[in-house]
Amino acid sequence: MDITLIVALVILLALFFDFTNGFHDTANAMATPIATGALKPKVAVALAAILNLVGAFLSTEVAKTISGGLIREGDGGIQITPVLVLAGLIGAIVWNLFTWLLGLPSSSSHALFGGLIGAVIVGAGIGAIDGGVLVSKILIPAVLAPLTAGLISFIATKIAYAITRKQERDGFKRGQIFTSSLVSLAHGTNDAQKTMGVITLTLIAAGLQDVDSGPQFWVIVACALAIAIGTYSGGWRIIKTLGRDITDVEPAQGFAAEAATTATILASSHLGFALSTTQVASGSVIGTGVGRKGASVRWRTAGRIALGWLITIPAAGAVGAVAAFIAGWGFWGIVIDVVLAVAAILFIFLRSRRNQIDHRNFHQPEPGAFVRPKRRKKAGKR
Amino acid sequence: MTIAWSSFAIVVVSALVAAGLLVTLFSLALRLGSGVSTAHRVGSIALYVLCGLVVVYGIYLIVPALHG
Repeated sequence: MDITLIVALVILLALFFDFTNGFHDTANAMATPIATGALKPKVAVALAAILNLVGAFLSTEVAKTISGGLIREGDGGIQITPVLVLAGLIGAIVWNLFTWLLGLPSSSSHALFGGLIGAVIVGAGIGAIDGGVLVSKILIPAVLAPLTAGLISFIATKIAYAITRKQERDGFKRGQIFTSSLVSLAHGTNDAQKTMGVITLTLIAAGLQDVDSGPQFWVIVACALAIAIGTYSGGWRIIKTLGRDITDVEPAQGFAAEAATTATILASSHLGFALSTTQVASGSVIGTGVGRKGASVRWRTAGRIALGWLITIPAAGAVGAVAAFIAGWGFWGIVIDVVLAVAAILFIFLRSRRNQIDHRNFHQPEPGAFVRPKRRKKAGKR
Repeated sequence: MTIAWSSFAIVVVSALVAAGLLVTLFSLALRLGSGVSTAHRVGSIALYVLCGLVVVYGIYLIVPALHG
């Protein structure tokens, strides 16, 4: 198959992955402000989309390797080919959409890693994967991230409820807007980068771009737009899981949880211990549920989420492996791969229409309805 | 396989301090803001300003161009 055609396919799929990454992760920042009524659902996703768009342009540091040493690439290792990237992306996209259908907040990065691992194992053998890196950079942090964020969020919630009195707690809604915006911005600077990295790596591998050069401007623009549009379309199923199904979130809890999420993500990305945003955000929501007296955490839902995390890498890897195996047949293999991927995407999309969940599913209490006295002027207009 | 436990500990402690600080400042601002005396009001506004500074520091950390 013509190499430029494969490159074009990889770019298309990478951008589609970027889109799924956006709507999968809207919930990390915006689930709690939507749940507490700090932001109207549509306003929240629009704000998150803008911040992701801006964030994608802010960071110029591009990770040299998309896999962070997980796959032994380069000298003495294997050359990851555009076809393997294609197979890996199919695995990542299919798993991301499947977990979205189930409303599970799973890590998009893990789906991407998983898909690539599966594809590389088939294409280049198990020896191409560094097992030590897999454990120390992905598995252990996956356990530590929710525990850390949960603990911090628990303590932050205790502080918030100890200091404030009941009638003052509605004010936390204003604070939530700022903390959730920070999470969105941080997300934009990180996650769009991964897709830029994938596309740039592919262009370099195909000889269409100089080695050691950064992403071209059109790649940055395309990735920024893809993640922003994805974010705006809002993964309402996941927002519902994180904002409603784990525990009932009050404004003070939302603020505490987001403060914990922001602090944990920023600390982890600046002090050299990478943690997944999705897992941090989920841990924070659970922590704040445990931290408020009278709140209950639905551990069944939390358990489903944890199970989703456990199987994300092997499941995306399995799909990526099958895709890589089929792609090994040559031209027609790649055609079959793409057809199967499109069929899977369409199937999941049609299946999701059976029980649609969107912004209308989020009934919000009138802001401050129980706290502030109604103003007479506006009361007439309503 | 090495796990950087020391850097993990630093992450936990600094995130805990930062989140705890922000929540404490904002909670105190809300608490004082509902007071009636001028001193309470001024204190409340000062605390909101401190919260704003924490948020600005967060933006500083997020944007690589700012801290090189």
